[in-house]
Amino acid sequence: MKTRVVITGLGIVSPIGIGVKDFWKAAMEGRSGVTAVKSFDPFPLEGYRSRVAAQIENFDLSQHLDFPQGARVDRFAQFALVAAKEALADSGLRMDREEAHRIGVIVGAGMGGMVMGEREVTQLYQQLRPHRVHPNLIPAITLNSASGILAMAYGAKGPNLTISTACSSSAHALGQALNCIRSGQADTVITAGADASITPLVFAGFCSLRALSTKFNETPTKASRPFDRLRDGFVLGEGAGALILESLPHAKKRKARVYAEVAGYAATSEAYHMVIPREDGVEIAETIRLALKDAGVTPAQVDYINAHATSTPVGDNVEIKGIRQVFKSRVEKLAISATKSLIGHTLGAAGAIGGIATALSIETGQIHPTINYDEPDPECNAPGISRSAQERPVKIALINSFGFGSNNAAVVFRKPSP
Amino acid sequence: MPAESHIADQIITALAEYLKRDKKSITLDNRLRDDLGLDSIATIELLFKLEEVFDLQIPDEDLKGLVTVGHVVKYVQKRLAPPPSKKSPQPAARAKRPKK
Repeated sequence: MKTRVVITGLGIVSPIGIGVKDFWKAAMEGRSGVTAVKSFDPFPLEGYRSRVAAQIENFDLSQHLDFPQGARVDRFAQFALVAAKEALADSGLRMDREEAHRIGVIVGAGMGGMVMGEREVTQLYQQLRPHRVHPNLIPAITLNSASGILAMAYGAKGPNLTISTACSSSAHALGQALNCIRSGQADTVITAGADASITPLVFAGFCSLRALSTKFNETPTKASRPFDRLRDGFVLGEGAGALILESLPHAKKRKARVYAEVAGYAATSEAYHMVIPREDGVEIAETIRLALKDAGVTPAQVDYINAHATSTPVGDNVEIKGIRQVFKSRVEKLAISATKSLIGHTLGAAGAIGGIATALSIETGQIHPTINYDEPDPECNAPGISRSAQERPVKIALINSFGFGSNNAAVVFRKPSP
Repeated sequence: MPAESHIADQIITALAEYLKRDKKSITLDNRLRDDLGLDSIATIELLFKLEEVFDLQIPDEDLKGLVTVGHVVKYVQKRLAPPPSKKSPQPAARAKRPKK
């Protein structure tokens, strides 16, 4: 029998709140974290087709954490430090009482240290002075700087891994943390996702890919609108989410509060296209089926889906197609929500943040609204998508997450038995 | 050429900023690692800063001798000294000369 794995702590740094309490309040109120992009000085914003993003303003690590080494890592890893600090405190885990080698860290990150990376590249190419490239460049841009710094800050000496699968990175981090505990490599895994790349180059790259919303530059809060007929691309966001996963026996032993059980996970590749999903949704459907099977549940038992739902015209259609193939008539009874309607697409953080929203829905019986869902699109309509908050018990929930590189993840959460 | 005391002041100021502590608490005989707690990467970051402040390039082989704040001050002072004659090599080449 598989070891059961539960979530005992949550932490978040998001465009609508730093801290789970503030995030959840804003999410349930349907507050948008999307604003006009402040400045890419000296780059003229007019040169960008999209000029909206979900940004975290006035973030200062030292206000959240007394950890001087944290100044050496880039913004995304600093977000992860703050989210993990909250999650650890929330879990009540006492690191001084734990066996450090039994605590792992698995972080999902899509882009890495782009703030410093872009600054240094720009200076190098402008000034042609290689000896003035900052000595901290390499450790700061490296994707695993986040998982590394979390271990250093909190003393976790178990497996220390980084999962980079673009937009689905931290959904896979959740799945890999589940497998890490199931396989006996660790009792506890500090699981996180983080990205902070609202930077001139990355933003321009997504603009050039024509992946971002461009029709709502004058009304930023309207720009992220998953499943809505007028959606025209995703909104780039930034942030971090952290969840403490531990084996059920370990959690029971220390009488920890349990938000939810991580019951199942599946990872697949569509082996199809770097940035376009298969339009028939069959691979998404297969991923969901595998995750439900891993959890030992049937489609008829699922109450809620935290959808990937980035607000791109193709992506949302394909996801609903895949969901319909698996759930058939159950779709009529499923609640579905899109966290990205509130905070944009936080890339490597998205799966973890979706996981946090799902864990909170299981705990509270409340599902946050999908904002800007004003006019259902017949191509991706489902009755359980709502622009209002929903109150309903959630026993089994599914988190969908798909990434560039043709990869899919699905994670199943279950309400803990009393 | 800046006076030695001015160089010392600039270096101690840079150190105090880096370490986030009062510059009065830093003395020339403080050892970078043992007294000020700079690990090897922190020392490299400090030297990176000093390279900018004094428009220098410090070659790897010179790092070994820089144990105390005073060593750094003396080193920078020496590097900023004007060449003794017209035959002196250019700064980049001069930087590679053995220091002892």
